[in-house]
Amino acid sequence: MTGNKQTLYEKYGGFPGVRQVVTEFYERALDNDVVGHFFEHVNMARLIDHQTKMIAGLLGGPVEISDARLAMAHAHLEVEHHHFDEIALILNETLTDAGFEKQDRVKAIAAVEARRSVIVRRSRAA
Amino acid sequence: MNIDTISMRMLSNIGVGVALADPEDLKIRYRNPAFADWFGVEDNATLDDALENVTREELLERLQGREAVKLDVALKRRRRLLTIETVIRHAESDGRKILVVECQNISRLRETEAMIDSYARIAERKARELELEKNRVEKLLLNVMPRSVYEEYTAFGTVTPKLYEPVSVLMLDFVGFTQMAAAADPTVTVTELNDIFTAFDRIAEMHGCERIKTIGDAYLAVAGLPTPDPDHASAVAQCAFKMIRYLERRNQSHKHKWQARIGVASGSVVGSVVGVQKYVYDVFGPAVNLASRLQALSKPMEVTATAEFCADGPEGLVAADPRMVDIRGFGDTSVATLQPRGALTLAA
Repeated sequence: MTGNKQTLYEKYGGFPGVRQVVTEFYERALDNDVVGHFFEHVNMARLIDHQTKMIAGLLGGPVEISDARLAMAHAHLEVEHHHFDEIALILNETLTDAGFEKQDRVKAIAAVEARRSVIVRRSRAA
Repeated sequence: MNIDTISMRMLSNIGVGVALADPEDLKIRYRNPAFADWFGVEDNATLDDALENVTREELLERLQGREAVKLDVALKRRRRLLTIETVIRHAESDGRKILVVECQNISRLRETEAMIDSYARIAERKARELELEKNRVEKLLLNVMPRSVYEEYTAFGTVTPKLYEPVSVLMLDFVGFTQMAAAADPTVTVTELNDIFTAFDRIAEMHGCERIKTIGDAYLAVAGLPTPDPDHASAVAQCAFKMIRYLERRNQSHKHKWQARIGVASGSVVGSVVGVQKYVYDVFGPAVNLASRLQALSKPMEVTATAEFCADGPEGLVAADPRMVDIRGFGDTSVATLQPRGALTLAA
């Protein structure tokens, strides 16, 4: 029996697995017309750093990003709900193509959803 | 199909951008589709037009006297900033001088590098946290077992019980601790006890004794374990007197007066880690029991030892008040009060 404690990060091959997801997610997010503009003027190394941490963290990898830091990083971006929905969609597609099983995708997306109120602009978040 | 045709087809289909230019006026004479896609297809364009972020003068100067020039060209493609690694080389064809330009999109490489950097930072941070945690655990375990035992434990996951002989055992107990704890604020009493035991630990260490454990207000230390020490008896005796002297000095300036009884005995003990989940390093054996009984025989601030222990000749100490006592488990035993040579009495 495999231990229940295994994280998705471990299940899908640790960093080598995450690397593939991050690369693919980065491409799709930049190409996407709903959310691409958020990433347009961000320094590539910083964006990749952020996305590596975010995806590793969502999958239960060795990173923890505090809500406070996330809120700070997104505060000036005016992220609306439909932007957030789009990002969740892109991530779901990316994970699907990377071979993530359905229940694992649900788990990962739930982890994204848990941060919605931190990332989406406050005045419209209610 | 001749070689030239094959070469041309290949040039047209590869993902590497290739161009040929005139070294004098930098005019582009040939460009393959990949190059055209990145840098445009206008006729009569020059290299500096195409590469944009380098001026004509700069480029000519850099090409002067060098075999090749390498530059990273940033290229905006939709929302993405591409990095095109460009190498310009001098070459000759049929006696004509020419510049060969070779361009590769290394954006993906740069992205991967950034990702690896990011992950390396994560991993290094984790490693630092783990190291800290390991040190904390090690410190905790070293509190409950000697270092050599700890090393055996970490290497093999278990500790084999070991007979140590001969060693000397020191057992110390406070007089009226229970009443004291009841009379005063117990947290204050325990804080003071902690201070005193911390001082005892330092004294024990100084004399090569190993604190094994404390049981309530009792303190058990051993000399000659885990490393054999021929002066084990002297070590615990000196340690015992230092502890008493420390208490005497402390009592002069503190409200609560702490009085201890000490018993010291030599013999053999078995040392081992006991327990699986809540393990503790402990010692067992006649020397431990005997030290404990002798401690009970002591008057406050006195050290009691067997005649045998005294005969071992701890330096600078004399045996006073020799007497026979029936000790439970040991029968009639010749014991004495241990005192520093020249001291009439140690008791406060």
